[in-house]
Amino acid sequence: MTKETVDGAMEEQQAQSKKGLKKQQKEVEKAAKKAEKQAKLAAEQQSTEEDDFAKDRYGVLAMVQSQQKLDRTLVRVKDLTPEKADQLIWMRARVHTSRAKGKQCFLVLRQQQFNVQALVAVGDRASKQMVKFAANITKESIVDVEAAVRRVEQKIESCSQQDVELHIERIFVISQAEPRLPLQLEDAVRPDGEGEEEGRATVNQDTKLDNRVIDLRTTTSQAIFRLQSGVCQLFRDTLTQKGFVEIQTPKIISAASEGGANVFTVSYFKTSAYLAQSPQLYKQMCICADFDKVFCVGPVFRAEDSNTHRHLTEFVGLDIEMAFNYHYHEVIESITDTMVQIFKGLRDNFQTEIQTVNKQFPSEPFKFLEPTLRLEYTEALAMLHEAGVEMGDEEDLSTPNEKLLGRLVKEKYDTDFYVLDKYPLAVRPFYTMPDPNNPKYSNSYDMFMRGEEILSGAQRVHDAQLLTERAIHHQIDLEKIKAYIDSFRYGAPPHGGGGIGLERVCMLYLGLHNIRQTSMFPRDPKRLTP
Amino acid sequence: MALRELSSLEKYLGLKKPNKYSTQGDKKVPVLQNNNGPPLVGLVTIACHLVKEAKRPELLGDSAEGRAVVQQWLEHRVTKLDGCTKEDTKTILKDLNLYLQDKVFLAGNQFTLADAFIYFGIHPLIVEMPIQEKEQYVNVTRWFDHIQHHPGLRHHLPPLVVLRNRIYTSRHH
Repeated sequence: MTKETVDGAMEEQQAQSKKGLKKQQKEVEKAAKKAEKQAKLAAEQQSTEEDDFAKDRYGVLAMVQSQQKLDRTLVRVKDLTPEKADQLIWMRARVHTSRAKGKQCFLVLRQQQFNVQALVAVGDRASKQMVKFAANITKESIVDVEAAVRRVEQKIESCSQQDVELHIERIFVISQAEPRLPLQLEDAVRPDGEGEEEGRATVNQDTKLDNRVIDLRTTTSQAIFRLQSGVCQLFRDTLTQKGFVEIQTPKIISAASEGGANVFTVSYFKTSAYLAQSPQLYKQMCICADFDKVFCVGPVFRAEDSNTHRHLTEFVGLDIEMAFNYHYHEVIESITDTMVQIFKGLRDNFQTEIQTVNKQFPSEPFKFLEPTLRLEYTEALAMLHEAGVEMGDEEDLSTPNEKLLGRLVKEKYDTDFYVLDKYPLAVRPFYTMPDPNNPKYSNSYDMFMRGEEILSGAQRVHDAQLLTERAIHHQIDLEKIKAYIDSFRYGAPPHGGGGIGLERVCMLYLGLHNIRQTSMFPRDPKRLTP
Repeated sequence: MALRELSSLEKYLGLKKPNKYSTQGDKKVPVLQNNNGPPLVGLVTIACHLVKEAKRPELLGDSAEGRAVVQQWLEHRVTKLDGCTKEDTKTILKDLNLYLQDKVFLAGNQFTLADAFIYFGIHPLIVEMPIQEKEQYVNVTRWFDHIQHHPGLRHHLPPLVVLRNRIYTSRHH
């Protein structure tokens, strides 16, 4: 080795040893820290194991696989009232929030629209470790809780159960939620305005719809869909009382019922078939089959490539059809009376739900008249003309004009619900009965809620010959509707009806602005899941 | 457009002989040939001249302050309102709405040239406006309806329908 290299090597060695020293030092420090940590942990663990007298009063239970039949009553959160004060009860709910404060942990336990405050405090029933466990339960986890119901002097404003709180004696996790939720429930119910003002997060609609299962847990969603269930219930009950029979119609059909443009095609063995755009044809065939008054509740499929606030590709149709004696106004009266019964039923029995929705989405209460307001098309044109809108006699109403008309009607008659009668024949489907006195008009009608259309209906053509003429006039292939026309050849009563969309009625009754809010798992041109 | 306004003004003033106007420049500034002197150029200049010709000086304001305000509005019309962009319209209408909060006419307590020319200038904007917006600018709409019914004023402009009652009462929908 030359001197240089020796020097170099020496330097290297020196450098190495400097480095080495540093490295060694670091390692020593690291080891020291590790030892410290381990010692601390050990001490903690020791203390944990030492002092935990409440060990069997909390924990994560094994998955409920129906191991045993426990004869235990679980009380509902909504029944936790001062009447139950000082009782020891069991209940199951979700952990909405949990917050530790020194020797106490405050939880809010939620069950659908109801929530209650609960408390785990270090004492003779709960240990420090138990309080720590409670504070660490992830949000949305489902827990079984045994607690004493205690009265509170000051009302708990933030909970639905304001007069009591639970003092927890035992708490077990039945189903744990993952710590990172795709959205926070408080954010999902925050009104948009408030979010902007206070700089807090709100959740946009797409996120809500992508994580629908969690979004549906919010108080607002629970309220909306309970109300929707009410609408269906009231529809069925009112019509059954009026002597209507509920029918089921096929959804896989051989010909497009409303025209070929907006229909879904499905492969049907060796040929293709269509998904029904409405139960129209089958409702009418039932009338010809002597069922007299029928209704059906079922899915409707419209392949409309419209991405608007009020269109879905699949929605629930509530359809009515009935034979009448002499005038189709008998049908209008039946339908409007049904709608009024629904509105009254919602107003009288679902106020809690309506108020809950209004907290996040404020709106004016829904107003209607009895008897229902009925305007003729020509009157509507005159009202629009007075307001400066020019429209032809036989022109259909555009959406902005419909909305403007709704506003004018509201201002003049103070109602959010009305019927527009005698539409021009040119803008109605081929099976609409023309007006007997004026060939430009027809015996058809639309109904509106808050200025938006919810029902289209008419007296139907029940004469096979006239029906054929009308079909030819509309350039419809007679072969495709042969079975339909045939049903009127063997005696058919005069009849009429109409259909409403369940989601649209709910949306407009509550004054909401997007139909996806009232459809549990909405379908539109851009959404096929969940 | 400016020429039609001037011809409407002539009719309003009751001037027997309509003048012949020409225009200059690509902004089509109106020009009036004068036998007595140099030609009059500009909408406001010609309008004031016509008013003097018709011996209706009150249309230019009834006091020194009134006259100043009228001139201000006429200048506003030609410089700010004509040829403004969509964003500017919103500001202009908002300011006008605020100004008209407690006034029946733009200047003083009577009809002046200011009212006429702001009415002419704003007409195309109001005609396009949906009812909801018209109700937002409630003072502008009120003043507009008042001026458009002023006898003898509205010649070349179609009347606008203004609803008597508000139909957009709440901020929802």
